[in-house]
Amino acid sequence: MNSFRFTNFLTSNIEIDQAMIEHIVQKCVTKIVEKGTFLLQQGDICQHTFFVEHGLLRQFSIDSKGKEHIIQFAPENWFISDRGSQYFKQPSSYFIQALEDTTVLLLDEAFILHLSKVSPAFLEFNNKLLHNHILHLQTRITQLLSATAEERYLHFIKMYPDILWRVPQTLVASYLGITPESLSRVRKELAQKQK
Amino acid sequence: MKTRNVEFIMAPRQPHYVGDGFRVHNFIPGSTRTTMQRMNPFIMLDYNSKFHFEPTETPRGVGVHPHRGFETVTVVYKGKVEHHDSHGGGGIIGEGDVQWMTAASGVLHKEFHEKEWSKKGGDFQVAQIWVNLPAKDKMSTPKYQTLLQKDMQKVSLQNENGYVEVIAGNYEGTQGNASTFTPIHLYNVRLKKGASLPLQFPENYNTALLVIEGSIIINDTEQVPTNYFALMENKGESFSIKADEDALVLVLSGEPINEPIAAHGPFVMNTREELLQAFDDFNRGKFGYLEE
Repeated sequence: MNSFRFTNFLTSNIEIDQAMIEHIVQKCVTKIVEKGTFLLQQGDICQHTFFVEHGLLRQFSIDSKGKEHIIQFAPENWFISDRGSQYFKQPSSYFIQALEDTTVLLLDEAFILHLSKVSPAFLEFNNKLLHNHILHLQTRITQLLSATAEERYLHFIKMYPDILWRVPQTLVASYLGITPESLSRVRKELAQKQK
Repeated sequence: MKTRNVEFIMAPRQPHYVGDGFRVHNFIPGSTRTTMQRMNPFIMLDYNSKFHFEPTETPRGVGVHPHRGFETVTVVYKGKVEHHDSHGGGGIIGEGDVQWMTAASGVLHKEFHEKEWSKKGGDFQVAQIWVNLPAKDKMSTPKYQTLLQKDMQKVSLQNENGYVEVIAGNYEGTQGNASTFTPIHLYNVRLKKGASLPLQFPENYNTALLVIEGSIIINDTEQVPTNYFALMENKGESFSIKADEDALVLVLSGEPINEPIAAHGPFVMNTREELLQAFDDFNRGKFGYLEE
């Protein structure tokens, strides 16, 4: 069964009957992608919201010098998409790529809009997800503008407790907006405090 | 003594890379018939079948990563592996050597092809087994046992038909050098073509064979070719392996640890809470620090 986590997520977060949940799950396409696969390319219009059933995705941009900047990781039970591109039908500035072999559920934008019309509970759920996303982005901005490397790291491990061992440290550094050397120093200092 | 039969024979799966230095076929827990629960205490088996690596100035391998709650046993058949860990340990193991690392409460380590070996390149062939620890020992102090080929306990077979190298446990009264937390027998068996070896383990011990070189026939009926894995039933105790060409076989047999398993990546604990604690301890540097 490739939608176990998604079904659980919906059941515990929306106040709607089981039949409706089954309808939503059945309407979603499940995709199994290999590590490295792109689910969204810069310049494309984002057509889906992705739910990670198993595996790990990242959303990132590439600057004019060719450097990658990770905006978000999405491990199991996370949603990821370019909401701006999806809603406003604008070309995306981002890539979404699998960092591991990943099973994702694809929620089509038209289906999300349809559900929001027919189900007040789903509308509220989607509204909550959107506000969660805004909260997440606001925190990201504050962190990137004013937090120290250590503060950023401590916030990161709270937000993503099981990512550090799954990806190269360069990717974590990219997410934190610090150099890999700074991340290494922060981790070394933390380890020394534990002694 | 009742005969123990083959439960099933598994072909090597499509290899995948661990880091860039270990091109492995996963046998445990890779199939629904070799889950951690079924194979316990052997909760993972990756096998880098013989593979030629080209020379390189930058050694291939796998960078710093954590482990908690079990032991990693690395058996080298070809090539050389260099390792370092967050407790200041490190070393090089070569052909015929075994490194038995008790990660227990947690280590960071890295494993690479040895530098000088990498410069020349060559055939590389290594098996890595993860051995589960009972709940009471999962948070014990990490330790290493380096079991060098020259010190390995060997039992020679009659008529120069081969030998049993006892890594852990015992064969016919000869005790291997590795100390283990639960009863485990781990052998490398070398047989000349036509030679046969009787083996016997308690019925409840989970028992399997991996054919490293050549080909064998189990109980005169089931052929197991190179790189194939055979899982034995948990009915009966004794079985025989016969080489139908010169063979080298890794034999694993261990008493199951009848405790719940909560596993995620390199952390194998008993409960979900312990797993979350393992993530947090690792993230916060409680496993120590190791340079990339």
